[in-house]
Amino acid sequence: MAAADSPSAALRRRDLCSRGIRLAGKMRSDVIDLLDTYVERQGLDASASVVAVEGVPAAAAERWDKQTGTQRLLDNLAAYRAFRALLAQMLEEQREQLGEADAALGQALAAVLLQVSAFAYHLEELLRLESRGPPSEEGAGPPPLPHLGLFERKLRGLGVLRELAQWAVRSARDLRQLAKPGPGSSSAPSPAESP
Amino acid sequence: QNLKCVTHNLRKMICTWDVSSKGRRGQTDFCYTTNDLSPPVCFKTKEKRVEIPVPESSTTLTITTNGISGTAFATKEFEIHKKDISFVPLTPRILSLTPDFSTSTLNLKWSDNGSIFPYGLDAFWQIQILRKEAMEKVTQVTYYSKLTHEDIILSWNWTSDMPLECTSHYVKIRCYFNVTQFVGPKDWSDWSPVEEVPGKDTEPNGSGVFPQDTVVAVGSDVTICCVHEEGQQIQRMTYGSEIYPMIHLSSRSSAIRVLNASASDTSGTNVVCILSEDGMDGTVLFVGYAPDIPQNLSCETSNFLVIKCTWKPGRPSGLYGKRRTNYSLFERISGKNVSCEINEMNRERVCGFPVLADQKTYDFILGVSNPIGQTESSLLVDLTQRVHPKTPEKLTVSGNSSTSVHLRWFINGSFAEIRLLCQIEISGGHYERKLHNVSMPGGKFSTYTAQLNALHPYTKYQLRVRCSAADHFWRWSGWSRIEEHTTLEA
Repeated sequence: MAAADSPSAALRRRDLCSRGIRLAGKMRSDVIDLLDTYVERQGLDASASVVAVEGVPAAAAERWDKQTGTQRLLDNLAAYRAFRALLAQMLEEQREQLGEADAALGQALAAVLLQVSAFAYHLEELLRLESRGPPSEEGAGPPPLPHLGLFERKLRGLGVLRELAQWAVRSARDLRQLAKPGPGSSSAPSPAESP
Repeated sequence: QNLKCVTHNLRKMICTWDVSSKGRRGQTDFCYTTNDLSPPVCFKTKEKRVEIPVPESSTTLTITTNGISGTAFATKEFEIHKKDISFVPLTPRILSLTPDFSTSTLNLKWSDNGSIFPYGLDAFWQIQILRKEAMEKVTQVTYYSKLTHEDIILSWNWTSDMPLECTSHYVKIRCYFNVTQFVGPKDWSDWSPVEEVPGKDTEPNGSGVFPQDTVVAVGSDVTICCVHEEGQQIQRMTYGSEIYPMIHLSSRSSAIRVLNASASDTSGTNVVCILSEDGMDGTVLFVGYAPDIPQNLSCETSNFLVIKCTWKPGRPSGLYGKRRTNYSLFERISGKNVSCEINEMNRERVCGFPVLADQKTYDFILGVSNPIGQTESSLLVDLTQRVHPKTPEKLTVSGNSSTSVHLRWFINGSFAEIRLLCQIEISGGHYERKLHNVSMPGGKFSTYTAQLNALHPYTKYQLRVRCSAADHFWRWSGWSRIEEHTTLEA
């Protein structure tokens, strides 16, 4: 893991973290808005329970407080890479199913996809600071789209967006942990903090 | 007693009888007369049933029942006339019962066994459809055909009012041949054994909501079912936001019936099946309209390279994305077909078709289709009579004279086949606005020129130009930009 941070690296990381936190906050509010639009436009029941969607990493982490900084970044990056692929699938389906009929929903989806991509890039930047660099994306392509009926796809989309909203909250918390002036190595476990 | 003779093929008949049950019986001696001249035909049988030829008019049957030891026990004679013989066709044999799940249609095929009957007999087939676990009768239909003295495979389709996946469907068939020359009683055959198309509620992993993601016309009555696992219960089924009463089909399947379905939103109407233990399944129904006949179909060319057809789409179909209405332009003379890229959201519909070498007349059929229906509109045009040139460009006005000006402009397009009529509007000087018409041979992506005389010296003029086809006027192009010019002093 990285030797003790040089002052400039620590400053750079703190800057990236705070910008990341703002990005996560913006993303979360946009995802919440998108969720409302999605539920309404897809004719879903907002309270519909959705089973865990395959290919969507769970935001709730066991022993969240025991995680190292690098582990947090790696988990976050894996999640947002998965969300990037899932949102791209949703956008593709949206175009296939509705064409230009629901441009508003399509644009909102595309906007969130952009933010997710930006956030993933941001996380890669942070990992580069760890001088280990982000893992390559080879073979990490999107999970094959299981053959689902349209209603199941609608529910799956709902599950993806709900989980993304959760992740945005978790990412902000993870980045706050990272931003704390720690013992210098972000691979050391962070001081206990309730998630 | 109770001697009965039945024929299935008008040539042979099967006679059956009863024997009083007292004492143990041995073989039976059976004799029948074929005609008055020849001796009776006799044989022994253990059965109380024989197959013998159908007599021309009548026959005498003699039945002698023997005891175990072979001694004659009782003899009885029967006079059988043609009118005493019943005609009952053989039970029809179903060859195949094939489901088409996408259209909820059953296709039944059976053989009419016509080869054993004379040509031209009227045949009636009663077909019964049954459904659900309780095999309730859904419908009974009579199908008519004529026998042709050959074995013909008959085929019949039936479309169910509910998806075939919802529950098992059964079919059976019987027949009646109207043999007019047969004097005896005629009756329906027995019902065939039942043929089954199993529903998904009989399959281990058959659960789901059906039909899956289908398209129906506004106003349709639709049956939607929820097939679930054994032991699960359906708590409710909703169509859109409304809870519907459920129809029990089987222990693993219930349905709702939506009457006079109204148009769905862009993303379709969700049909949700809420199951016990937080289970949920669903499908999406797209309710829309068949395409309207395109109105005001019009085709023109602005450059003799592409023909642009426009039309009014009429009532929106309410179907989008891959269920949207598709348009294609087919030209009958050349046989060429072009599919049109249409954006459903904008009202104007435009489709381009290439101008074909050496073809002046175009016989268009605009084909329109979506999952609910199709229609078309047609138009015959002579292209030289549908020229709508593009707006003239690069207008320049020059002249080193005090009373005339020289105009030059460019039109994007190939008009070599026609003459152009151009109109020059000049304003300024003493007159508010004056129009000058000039006609000239069309050119290929050409620059055109004209001259205006009798102008006033040292006067500022504004000029612009537009063009159209000279011989068969169709539409003016747009006006070019205005150019200003001041004539020289006198």
